[in-house]
Amino acid sequence: MKYFLPLFTRLIVRPLRREPLRTSLTVMAVALGVAVVVAIDLAGDAAAGSFRSSLESLAGKSDLLITATGGLEEKLLGQLVQLPYPLAFTPRIESFAFVAGKGEAVPFFGLDLIGQSLASDTGSALAPMGSVADLDENTIWAGRSTHLKPGEAVQLLINDEMRTVKVAGLLTSTNELGEDRVIVADIGLAQKLTGKEGRVDSVDVSIPKGESVEHWREVLRRSLPSSVDVNPAGARTDENRKMLAAFRWNLHVLSYIALVVGGFLIYNTISISVVRRRTEIGVIRALGGSRILVGCGFLAEALALATAGTALGLVLGRLLALGAVGLIGTTVQSLYVSSVPARIQMGPAALLTGIGLGLGISLLAAIAPAWEAAQIPPTEAMARGREQYLAAVRSRHTIWLALGSLVLGGILTQPGPVRGKPIFAYISVILLVAGTSLAVPNIWIAFVARSQRWIAMAFGVEAELATRSLRASIARTSILTAALATAVAMTASIGIMVGSFRDTVRVWMDNELKADFYLRPAAPAGADRYPVMSADVADRIEMLPGVAAVDRFRSYPISYEGLPANLAGSEGSKLHGAAAIRFLPGEHASEILAQLPRGDFAIVSEPFANKHGVDAGTELRLPIGSETRKLKVLGIYYDYSTERGFVVVDRATLLKYLPDRALSTLAVYLKENATPNDVRAGIDRIVSGRSVLVFPSSGLRRAAIQIFDRTFRITYALEAVAIFVAVMGIAGSLLAMVIDRRRELAIFRFLGADRNQIRKVILCEAGLLGLVANVVGLVLGTFLSLILIFVINKQSFGWTIQFHWPAGLLSAAVAGVFIATVIAGFYPAQKAIGLNPIEAIHEE
Amino acid sequence: MAQVELRDVTKIYETGGTPAKALDTISLVIRPGEFLALVGKSGCGKSTLLNLCGAMDFPTSGTVLIDGVDTAGLSDSALTRMRREKIGFIFQSFQLLHTLTALENVELPLMLARKPHSRATALERLRWVEMESYSDRYPHQLSGGQQQRIAIARALAGSPQLLLADEPTGNLDSATGELVLNLLRKSADDLGVSIVMATHSVESTAVVNRIVRMRDGRIVAVENAEPARILA
Repeated sequence: MKYFLPLFTRLIVRPLRREPLRTSLTVMAVALGVAVVVAIDLAGDAAAGSFRSSLESLAGKSDLLITATGGLEEKLLGQLVQLPYPLAFTPRIESFAFVAGKGEAVPFFGLDLIGQSLASDTGSALAPMGSVADLDENTIWAGRSTHLKPGEAVQLLINDEMRTVKVAGLLTSTNELGEDRVIVADIGLAQKLTGKEGRVDSVDVSIPKGESVEHWREVLRRSLPSSVDVNPAGARTDENRKMLAAFRWNLHVLSYIALVVGGFLIYNTISISVVRRRTEIGVIRALGGSRILVGCGFLAEALALATAGTALGLVLGRLLALGAVGLIGTTVQSLYVSSVPARIQMGPAALLTGIGLGLGISLLAAIAPAWEAAQIPPTEAMARGREQYLAAVRSRHTIWLALGSLVLGGILTQPGPVRGKPIFAYISVILLVAGTSLAVPNIWIAFVARSQRWIAMAFGVEAELATRSLRASIARTSILTAALATAVAMTASIGIMVGSFRDTVRVWMDNELKADFYLRPAAPAGADRYPVMSADVADRIEMLPGVAAVDRFRSYPISYEGLPANLAGSEGSKLHGAAAIRFLPGEHASEILAQLPRGDFAIVSEPFANKHGVDAGTELRLPIGSETRKLKVLGIYYDYSTERGFVVVDRATLLKYLPDRALSTLAVYLKENATPNDVRAGIDRIVSGRSVLVFPSSGLRRAAIQIFDRTFRITYALEAVAIFVAVMGIAGSLLAMVIDRRRELAIFRFLGADRNQIRKVILCEAGLLGLVANVVGLVLGTFLSLILIFVINKQSFGWTIQFHWPAGLLSAAVAGVFIATVIAGFYPAQKAIGLNPIEAIHEE
Repeated sequence: MAQVELRDVTKIYETGGTPAKALDTISLVIRPGEFLALVGKSGCGKSTLLNLCGAMDFPTSGTVLIDGVDTAGLSDSALTRMRREKIGFIFQSFQLLHTLTALENVELPLMLARKPHSRATALERLRWVEMESYSDRYPHQLSGGQQQRIAIARALAGSPQLLLADEPTGNLDSATGELVLNLLRKSADDLGVSIVMATHSVESTAVVNRIVRMRDGRIVAVENAEPARILA
């Protein structure tokens, strides 16, 4: 150990310092890998960590939350207060509002401010909010982050109405994250603004200090109707987290791709080090250095690179998280639940994850080359060229290992998920990547054997020399190819999956969106937010000449088996276009839709069915209205609007239990001979004075596809980083190749090669690497996409996606990677032609 | 016409800001088909002279004429063409490419020159140095003498007029060294190639026509010799 440090400095650090560019590229590769993982971790936490509504975190202590589908009747609150228990009850209205002139949706809450101000023991952290005397009909309080000023008159858009209110004051408290982007009104005003007169969304319950939450939960349950839920505070957050678990898990896995590619490059860097220092290894071994010393030396080199890369990656990750949180937030809001991105916090867990993964993967990647270095006998170490020969011999054996991995990978696509996670499918992906990487040497050998002559004929002797050189340095060539192919495969597979998903959604919308116009309130909507508009809008539009039918759709966010979902009422069954709703194979749409209005029947969306194991015939128990209802499932339909899942009943059934006629959306079907412009003018007249958005179906489709594309931006961003890391690795490795082969390139010059020929050789090597990696990556990517679409997606999210090959996107990606690879060869090529052949020869 | 002619050639290298004179006003004529040995201790300028003769370097002053052409007036691509067509190199440490087989090593200069039938020509050269049966071997699978014979075959692959050999037996034992020298002699006799060989071994000069003795960058003596055709 005494001599390890000086030896390490002389034999490892010095060579690294001598090649700053190559060392920097490797460090950057690790840094980017770590940065992506850390960024996704931090951004995921920030985007998903704010489910705890702003109010919950602002208002402080609350132990239980009473909720019901469609809200609670106010008279129930009166009954609660009469109960002979030492409990404090705080009613709540929750919604979102657009503040006129500001782009963002702001959480809007209604609270019993008078009650709170009178009772000082509610534990609310919202006080002081100004005097109760400040309360009048139209006053609100705003968090500082809303940038509203006391005394200011503002217009709030909630549901389909714009209302003017006055800012009475600012909230003085912030939540634990320092966030206070909320608007609060007294419950009476909030009920009026949200159209929930006589109802509240939920009631917070505070229990005496030190008493059992579970005890009081049971007591309240017994005192309340069966349709009312009593849950510990934060249960909704847990539900949301549970719902998001699969999404976040898959996103995490996706973020590891760049790190895995970085691992390949560490493996490559250390392998190159071992190859280049074989003579040194031989000398050290001949001089009495132990195998352990040699092995540890190379592991220490990996550790040095990994430490620098990880440190840089942590800083970079924190910065990248700022961009990633917006992208993840978009996906979460579009598909799952309303959330306001919280502040990004680099906690010890994120730090340890980054450090552990950065150092761990780097060391893991370095074990094989370090072990190989330790095993080299001194005599063999000094025999130049033997390592590549041995690599070529070894490749004959690895083919069996490769085939074994591929077959096992195929088999592991069959088992189901483990606790809702597609563990086996991911192992299958790893095995397919590993199997393909192991097969790469054989792929190169076959490629060169079959194409060398054609390449020479097409691109000249330089290309042939490049082919031979790559074939001769099969070990190094294979690692580089495997690294880039992995990145390409992941990109291709995600590209195919997203492309297939996009196409499936497009086809689904073409089938589903048969109406001519769609209307919805202009207020902020989301996967769990359904602002409503007045029912008389639908009644009046239905009377317009030219309108054949309307479909009134009302949706409520609900909780089913501990997971968020949606309950909706539709008039779809009365429409002629029954085929608009596509059911799973074997289910008859017309029969199902005919039966739906005849009783307590429901149809469920595919994600809901998969998540809860529901089949046609299953009886769902849902708390609706005053009691828990039993709904028999008639069929499962395709739906791609939200992953939360839908339980849809006939509108009449819904109104029977929840007699609120307001609508979430309205579909308008025209008569065959109607003039769309005339009807549109009629609709515009009816909705004038209200904030209602009217879309033709084409506009809705376009908007939906835009949301879809925004949703998947994060996946593309992750793939781009992986590709960038791999291409950077190619540049670094080509540079190493040039430095390593300076003697060979000098001999070329002695043998009559001119500078252009040398440049062309290096560029051809880069191009060939890119070509083979692209082809291997595309084939592997196609198989991975099948696993993603038919196994991982199905097990994680429950969507049926039709396979579709996005040829344009893939061609562009492949061409981009190929061009980037060739460009990566320019600097090494320039370096190569700048070498002095005489000096290079003299170094020997 | 002389194969190579050096007129008052001086070569100065800058090493760490200090000029070092590697060659000092040297004049020398190498005739076609002549086998010439440059003899002297390490650092006397033999390798520098070889590099100038091989159009790998330019003199600081003076003129180097190869086949009557002044190298100073040539572009990089013209020099490359000249090396490709007229000159072959042999090195002390063989300088074979370890990633290529013996045959591929010999074929390399032919490919760089885009010559047709490169494979057949390379095989022919391997046969000429009696290494045909080793054509599929990699350098590390060959002995030093075998590697140097492959290097000679490679140097002769493009049928050069001039062969420049830098200590070709320096890494070989005496018996193997003699075989290599014999092969070089045979090249000069059978193929009419001019050979300039840098060596510090007096034994190596037994096969040459002329011995040029160098010291401190200068030619101190030029002796004609009767070459031995076949060594023991």
